[in-house]
Amino acid sequence: MAKKFWPKGVMPALVTPFDPKFEVDEEALRRLVDWVIERGVSAVVPCGTTGEFVNMRIEERRRVYDVVIDHVNGRVPVIAGTGDASTQVAVELTKYAEDAGADAALIVTPFYMGLTDKEVYEHYEKIASSVELPILMYNIPQVTGVWIPWWVAEGLGKEISNIVGIKDSSGSMPYMMTLIEKLYGVISIICGYDEIAMAALASGADGLILASANVIPDVWVEIYDAVKNRRDLDHARELHRKYQTLLRFIARFGGPLAVKRALWMMGLDVGYVRRPLMVGGAYPYEVEDEMRRRLEGYGLIPRMPVEFELEPGRVYRCDYPATSYTHPRIRDFTLRVGEAFTSPSMADVAHVDLMLGRKDGPVGKAFEDALKNPRPGHEPRVVELDGREVKPRTLLIPTVTIRTERHAKLVYGPAMAGVARAVVEAVEGGLIPRELVDELVMIAHVFVHPTACNPTRIMLNNYKAVNHALKKALEDRPTLGELMERKESARHPFRYEP
Amino acid sequence: MAAFKPEGIFPALITPFKKGREVDEEALRRLVNWVIERGVHGVVPCGTTGEFVYMKEEERKRVVETVVDEVNGRVSVIAGTGASATNMAVRLTRHAEDAGADAVLVVTPYYLRPADKGAYQHFYEVAKSTDLPIILYNIPQCTGGFLAREVVEDLAELENVVALKDSSGHLPYTLELLDMVGDRISILCGHDEVVMPALAAGASGAILASANVIPDVWIEVYEAVKRGDLARARELQMRVQKLARIIVRHGGAVAVKAALNMMGLKVGKARRPLVSGGVLSWEVREEMRLELEKLGKLKAEEEAPESKKFLEELGLSPSELRCLSLEIGEASAGVGEEEVHVRAVVGPKDGPVGYAWAKAFSQLEPGHEALLALLEPNLMARPPTLIIPTVEIRNMRQASMVYGPVQAAVGRAVQDAVEVGWVPMEAMETHVALVEVTVKPEALDRRALYFNAYEATREALRRALRRG
Repeated sequence: MAKKFWPKGVMPALVTPFDPKFEVDEEALRRLVDWVIERGVSAVVPCGTTGEFVNMRIEERRRVYDVVIDHVNGRVPVIAGTGDASTQVAVELTKYAEDAGADAALIVTPFYMGLTDKEVYEHYEKIASSVELPILMYNIPQVTGVWIPWWVAEGLGKEISNIVGIKDSSGSMPYMMTLIEKLYGVISIICGYDEIAMAALASGADGLILASANVIPDVWVEIYDAVKNRRDLDHARELHRKYQTLLRFIARFGGPLAVKRALWMMGLDVGYVRRPLMVGGAYPYEVEDEMRRRLEGYGLIPRMPVEFELEPGRVYRCDYPATSYTHPRIRDFTLRVGEAFTSPSMADVAHVDLMLGRKDGPVGKAFEDALKNPRPGHEPRVVELDGREVKPRTLLIPTVTIRTERHAKLVYGPAMAGVARAVVEAVEGGLIPRELVDELVMIAHVFVHPTACNPTRIMLNNYKAVNHALKKALEDRPTLGELMERKESARHPFRYEP
Repeated sequence: MAAFKPEGIFPALITPFKKGREVDEEALRRLVNWVIERGVHGVVPCGTTGEFVYMKEEERKRVVETVVDEVNGRVSVIAGTGASATNMAVRLTRHAEDAGADAVLVVTPYYLRPADKGAYQHFYEVAKSTDLPIILYNIPQCTGGFLAREVVEDLAELENVVALKDSSGHLPYTLELLDMVGDRISILCGHDEVVMPALAAGASGAILASANVIPDVWIEVYEAVKRGDLARARELQMRVQKLARIIVRHGGAVAVKAALNMMGLKVGKARRPLVSGGVLSWEVREEMRLELEKLGKLKAEEEAPESKKFLEELGLSPSELRCLSLEIGEASAGVGEEEVHVRAVVGPKDGPVGYAWAKAFSQLEPGHEALLALLEPNLMARPPTLIIPTVEIRNMRQASMVYGPVQAAVGRAVQDAVEVGWVPMEAMETHVALVEVTVKPEALDRRALYFNAYEATREALRRALRRG
């Protein structure tokens, strides 16, 4: 039985841009559609999970289908997310999408209430029989609480002519392999979990519907092409591995929020997410900071000439990886402060308080005085890399009183190596103008837990924390706006009893 | 054999180890006497809390023998004889019988988890191999799955299966068993956080890790429920709830051993891979100390730590500040142990406050380590604010009072002061704040501390900035 539409290729699960009042921002949506189509995607998928469909009213979803279909204007197929907890609503939305001119509908399993096989089967059967539009089933148990068992998928795929595909976002490779075993060539099998997408393609999946395809559509097109057309698995694997961290952040930390923040940092403003999603929640601050560092590494953050005004008349420029947080001219180097915390494991956590300032100001004086008056258990050390002091000169001060040899080794060993690497890279990477390295000094409080044991992670976490803290110090972050927005929901982890 | 009906409170005995980590039989005997003197109805060696899974077969046998010998008939001995392999569980059970135990506690097979059929066969073979009463043991958080109620129903038909210990803490499961097999076997609670509700629902007793530490409290709970005094039972359960939570969720054997060691009953450390500062973090261990203090099981440290003033020492003399139109604002909030006193000063970065700030930041005074005010990690308050504790911090429990609640409270107070306009917006980038905080070493209640530190900081900032 030939299927009349066979979804394949790279298909971004479009985010839905919201304006500051949390209304759908149609202009931004149109810009996003162009951005991904220009980068070679095979289709677009509005109102999926990443599109925050679950937090949208029915009329809004219809409007988004209309806008996307209008703006795509036939350039690529449009697969509308028309799923809902209620079968009735899903039927209505699917009919609407059909009339509006969508090419297919992606229909998530019902969610919230736990369901049996029969209820899942009949949900899809009912919707499919109400339209002629091609339909993709959609398995994403981590949000719905409901799996499509493979035998249900097999039955629906073989029985119902307008069921043309299944998207699996579970991330379970064994499940994906079972779908391929049972349904390869019968319906299109789509991988929806970013972290394993290349493996799924290599194993026989037909295409990808991904959150991260909003951010790096071109990379996915290249991976897809390498696997499917050029049979160059080595290249596909290498590319995938390069972006693996970004994929992990997007897949595991807040989906739509991570995508929107990444695009915003890259200069494409796709607005806000709707509440209850918020920065600092499922998408932690440290993930945002680290995602920025990664995007810089991929060359996806545009560089901007930033002026460092040491004093009036003495201005130095550097080619700074800038976001909208960055001031074009940074003034006043009397005393700047940045703080950064990186986890994930409590034992190896890094927490850096960083003070940066001119040599001839309070920071410079504190630097010299601290060396002259070392406090027991908190002995400062001038940070070195391979036996040479890094520039700007940086003083490391242990936050936790050092009581054991082992603790001392971790602080002055891997933690210091992390600090050193971050300082050296900051100068190389354009965060500090080279002309200023002899004018500035830094003092870093470095927290290493007394029970810490993992030198590699201590080094990496301190490296990241110094990188993040330095940017915050230079950019005066958190900003007043961030503080006011976040202060009510702030939850200090040690405020509470066990 | 007369039907054995386990009723009452049974400590799941820890296994004391010596420095070289071999079983410390002397300490084990002391522990047995310590809990029997406090009235327990029986003891359970080689359970989960007894670290049976880290012990060799011969060691387990030896521990059972030692406990039977030391108990010497005073109370019943329920030997933990479970194992992943059926034949090992059978061997241990037969040994316990020969050694003179009164019953055995047999855990659900773990790691290579059998389905219902295999689980049934496991318990069936163990039961058939002995005349001893068998207690089934459900602890899915360790074994990876529940013992299915249907399997328990069938096992309850076996003559010597007399009880089930449910350590899941999942009361729907406990009640399902009471409903389906409660007329044939006893149900024992094995989860310290739900002892009172389980007993009230019909469980006949409890086998508990924390009954090593507070056997007296559990016996009182048991007796209160038996005589129908639910209010009293509830009150007692609530009194030990946090201790129970810590023991259940932060390391079982490690936590129990830490508690007993604190109380002077030296039982050594747990075996590897369990380590100090692992499942029981040092912070939580100190919380446990607090709970034991509250319960009267431990005495608080009496020597008062040193208190120091810092702002003057950092070069901020009132006269010099006055010349710059700055001043130190001072305020207190709260009463009793959680009272907080704060002195705050806000000034430009390039003046004496900025120099003092940089000095305090870079010369950390042991016991008085300055720290940034944060609302939460990665959300520091602005203007940058440094907190200096005036009372020497001597232990992690004191530290955890200052570095959590106080740090967050000062951060929030600074931000609220910005919001209401006491700190002008421009000052976010041009000024810094120093906040000296006095928290009493005996402070216990984080919530009260947070609110008092907030109030005191807010008021001190208002005065320092001469607002309102």
